[in-house]
Amino acid sequence: MTAMLTQPVPATPAARPLRRTLARALLSDWFVLWLTLAYFLILLPVLPTLGTPANLANLLSNAWPLLVVALGQTFVMTIGGIDLSQGAVIGLTSTLGAALIATAGPPEVLSKAPIWGLLIFEDGGVLAGQLWLGLLAMLLAGALVGLVNGTLVAWLDMPAFMVTLVSLITVGAFAIWLTQSENIRNLPDSYVALGKGEIVSVYIGPKEEPQIPRRQVHELVTYAALVAVTLAVALHLLLERTAFGRQVLAVGANRRAAEIAGVPVRRIIVLVFVLSSLCATVGAVLYSARLEAGRPTLGEGTFLLDVIGATVIGGTSLFGGKGKVLWTVFGVLFFVLLSNSLNLMNLSTFHIDMVKGGVILAAALLDVARTRLLRGMA
Amino acid sequence: MRSTFLSALGATAFATLLGTGAQAATICFAFQDLETEFWVAGHKAITTTLTEAGHTVIERNANEDANRQLEQVNDCIAQGVDGIIIIPQDGESAVTIVQTAQDNDVPIAVFNRPPSDLSKGIVVVADNATIAEQAVDFVAQEAMARITDRPIQPLIIVGDLGDPNAVGRKDGFYAALQKYGDKFATPIEVASEWDAATALANLEAAVTANPNIDLIFTSSDFLFPTIRSVLEPRGKWVPRDQEGHVLMAGLDGDATACQLIKDGFVDATGVQDLYFEAESAMNAILAAIEAGETQPNQVIEDPGFALTSANLGEREMDMWGCVLLSEGFLNN
Amino acid sequence: MTALLRFEGLGKDWFGVPAVRDLSLDIPEGRVLGLIGENGAGKSTLMNMIGGITAPTHGRMLWRGQPYAPASAADARAAGIAFIHQELNLFTNLTVAENLFIDGFPRRPGLLRPFIDRRAMRDRAAEVLARLALDLPPERTLDSLSPGERQLVEIARALHHDAALIIFDEPTTSLTPRETDRLFQAIEGLRAAGKTVIYISHILADVQRLSDGIAVLRDGRLVGEGPVADFDIPRMIRTMIGRDLAAVYPSRTAPPRGRPVLEVQGLSAPGVIEDVSLTVREGEILGLFGLMGSGRSELARILMGLDPAMRGDARLLGHPLRGGPRDRIRQGLAFVTENRREEGLMMDASIRDNLTLPAIERLRGPLGLDADRIADTAQALRETVRLKAQDLARQPVRSLSGGNQQKVVIGKWLPTEPRLFILDEPTRGVDVGARSEIYGLMDRLAAEGAGLLVISSELDELMGLCDRISVMSRGEVVATFDRARFDERRIIASAFRQAEGDAA
Repeated sequence: MTAMLTQPVPATPAARPLRRTLARALLSDWFVLWLTLAYFLILLPVLPTLGTPANLANLLSNAWPLLVVALGQTFVMTIGGIDLSQGAVIGLTSTLGAALIATAGPPEVLSKAPIWGLLIFEDGGVLAGQLWLGLLAMLLAGALVGLVNGTLVAWLDMPAFMVTLVSLITVGAFAIWLTQSENIRNLPDSYVALGKGEIVSVYIGPKEEPQIPRRQVHELVTYAALVAVTLAVALHLLLERTAFGRQVLAVGANRRAAEIAGVPVRRIIVLVFVLSSLCATVGAVLYSARLEAGRPTLGEGTFLLDVIGATVIGGTSLFGGKGKVLWTVFGVLFFVLLSNSLNLMNLSTFHIDMVKGGVILAAALLDVARTRLLRGMA
Repeated sequence: MRSTFLSALGATAFATLLGTGAQAATICFAFQDLETEFWVAGHKAITTTLTEAGHTVIERNANEDANRQLEQVNDCIAQGVDGIIIIPQDGESAVTIVQTAQDNDVPIAVFNRPPSDLSKGIVVVADNATIAEQAVDFVAQEAMARITDRPIQPLIIVGDLGDPNAVGRKDGFYAALQKYGDKFATPIEVASEWDAATALANLEAAVTANPNIDLIFTSSDFLFPTIRSVLEPRGKWVPRDQEGHVLMAGLDGDATACQLIKDGFVDATGVQDLYFEAESAMNAILAAIEAGETQPNQVIEDPGFALTSANLGEREMDMWGCVLLSEGFLNN
Repeated sequence: MTALLRFEGLGKDWFGVPAVRDLSLDIPEGRVLGLIGENGAGKSTLMNMIGGITAPTHGRMLWRGQPYAPASAADARAAGIAFIHQELNLFTNLTVAENLFIDGFPRRPGLLRPFIDRRAMRDRAAEVLARLALDLPPERTLDSLSPGERQLVEIARALHHDAALIIFDEPTTSLTPRETDRLFQAIEGLRAAGKTVIYISHILADVQRLSDGIAVLRDGRLVGEGPVADFDIPRMIRTMIGRDLAAVYPSRTAPPRGRPVLEVQGLSAPGVIEDVSLTVREGEILGLFGLMGSGRSELARILMGLDPAMRGDARLLGHPLRGGPRDRIRQGLAFVTENRREEGLMMDASIRDNLTLPAIERLRGPLGLDADRIADTAQALRETVRLKAQDLARQPVRSLSGGNQQKVVIGKWLPTEPRLFILDEPTRGVDVGARSEIYGLMDRLAAEGAGLLVISSELDELMGLCDRISVMSRGEVVATFDRARFDERRIIASAFRQAEGDAA
């Protein structure tokens, strides 16, 4: 009987046209993209640098690796979880990968590291020259962390927050222990190209210029862009067009109902955490390649804020059951634009983080508002 | 952080109106962190000087995140800065960042922490050995003036010998004493591994075994409190104008060392000349901008100096630790 | 003796469907009134109106002769009405005394006012407990007390609030016989202290033992009322169910065909079900009747692989049922749970997503999911279950009425082609019109050869629908009745273990 009490009383569509329009905009898949464009256009007159080709190229190059990592987070959030360990996975896999494929190992830096003489020697890592094997090893290491996370969450019914917090601490510490906090350089050019290599660059300026200044040549298509876009398209198809993707959404929407409906709930949870770690690993490749070093401390600090922030801003629900790759793409764009514009305003790091925190809070509130709207409508 | 984009914009306009355009440059100053006393001083040294010279400074704080520093430098390049000065997070990321700047034809200078590859960019390097030698030389002379009837017993607290800095400092110590031949007994070496607890244990043992130590050199100033806790119970922690003073020298030049020199317990500390480094980095960058050089490569050596009980009066304010001390750093 | 609480023509409609109608009754002060009726007879609605949780749509209530229209639970409590539910509203992490004073701790005087006066609290708690003759230590935390003791704390709290009317709603479900005795003593004590009690229970013997007067509800109406002496248990039962089966049930079109779909042999899970054996044949609808806690829903969960069984054997078309829900669905099982919102549906997801979830892995095309097949499947299901919805792809299930939600829960199983449906309370919260459609759907499923195991606490429903009815009580199947031998009194009696039914 009391169940009937909570039945929503439908509002007549004509009664509140403004609210209706607003609601439709809020619920649109493209909402964050419009928001991003509006923010860009409003700031452009005040901050002309924002629209320069150099800045735009920069903006995109910052967006790709973040997007890759946020895609994994999107899946975890869609099942109603959270993965705090992505940053630590980046630190671990970037260090491990760099150690394996480095072309040389300076003994004065690394001789005290536990991996010295095991994975890396004076003349390079054990997989030096075998880029693909190195990448595979990184992915395996990342998948292993995800497997442990997922297994603990799915089979022991532990909260994802707790499990991945513990991973964050232990995996992060393990990565630092591996090299005793040293960074590993001497990465092969083929690896570095994954982070910085350009495929198509553009020059915008007068034709007659005898010698084009290099800083006016802007990268347009990079390997990082290629990797990120390919991954985004693949994961979009995975989430939207496969039974696995539908089941991911079902687990997030109602785990009990999904289980009773025959969804292999535990397997899905494990796979989603593995996917999240794999995305973090791909992110590790892009980040470490552009820094030209494997770093155990990569992904520490406020990096997690960026990943979770971008995902939530995109619209993936913190409560699970709602998530789209497209949303996260827009969320990352908005987030990167936000950081970039705050940088261009020459705000201090502290102020930037404060603003970012506020924006994420606003996004979380928006999620609550959307959920309410959705329940109130129809 | 007073700089908002409006004030930065205003500053540019102001400079242009005054016709100082030819001289005024926009310099990006990307530093690694402001959390320790050292960096606060370094940061001030740069920004004040540049702003006073009419240049526009864009500050970027990477909060100890190398990836963020790379993004910040990219941001600076996109904004079209004329030159970049960085205090890098570490030697490895410094190489990448220098490379990035040079690929975009923006001159870049690095100071305070040398990149692992010194061949690219303007690099200001402090020479640990030279600095250590200067500090040790001062106390060695003092010791020779005081003790003439027997060999002087020196002691060195060495750092982690896996760290090139520690090796350089140790070398400087020996180089200073070598000049005076057999006036000095064989130095006692105490290992610290850059760890206060290890240093404490080893120093306790060493002092117990050799109670007649005349001179102590610590490879870093941060160990002075440790030395004090070993010497004080033995009645050996006394100022230089009293009987039984052990001559003491260190390296780094932090606020504690400055205070101890003023109080007479410590006689000298070798210090990276941060102001010299900042100034050389700035000058080199400005010169490169002036000359239209986009990829200047130059190694500038920072000889450092020793702040001693003798030159405290003149050079106090050249040492970052003393600057912080005068601003009440130790009281905070 | 004046009436403490009086109902005058009281009624409550839910969207035009009456849950309580034209109810007039006096509840005299200082007496115990036994309130009985089948599930859905209107007892909860009536209690919710007294408790200020819902407002009546017709008539009015009088409290000590004054109009009484509580707007909230707090109003009811302030008037002096206390509820003792099966699920207690207690804080197990706090002490007995703290629980009594949770909404108004005694404070220390003066500057120490922010602090609780623990001694005063302890003393006053001891005093309240003494009035009930309860020897509970006030300093004990509740998690160290048994369910029965906790219930006594709840009663103590009601007394502490000077409640004049204390309403017990199925209070003995989780109590041991000894605890039940102690509770009854406490209730006797309340009556002796001049308090008024309304006692609601399915256990008619208890009602008979405790009450001064009896009131019987059926279909929202007061159908019987009088002193307890006028009501023996058979009359209570007769009054509770005394009506013809409505014509909402389908005439069973096809007779059971014989081949067993589900065979359960000696299935046991200690403390839950005991040595259960039953068979469902192709085309047969087997009803499972029992009181709450009789093990009927637990049996369903065990069959579905959601809970473990310790002993025994369950076979589907001759093959042992194994694994979790996923494996059993593959074997041909479908399960409509009693908790539609919690376990049956993704409330915020679209109707289409809900309808296609169990069979999603069958809807693959060469490149991932086949969007056309998904849309076609959902569309076909909409027609099969006669779903009233506007937009399958966009409308969230939450926006559907209870009956249509239930059609989604049933319909989503059809593409997996189940051989056996387990339906737990398939018409709970469903209005009469949709009920009839759901019954029709169940009839068609059986006609197409599936076996149906239908669990319900509404006997009418089972009698109207089923080929056979098995009755469960305390975890055991105590009797099975063929359609030809359906007899409400005997079925209910066996559920209450009044008499043994004849095994079929």
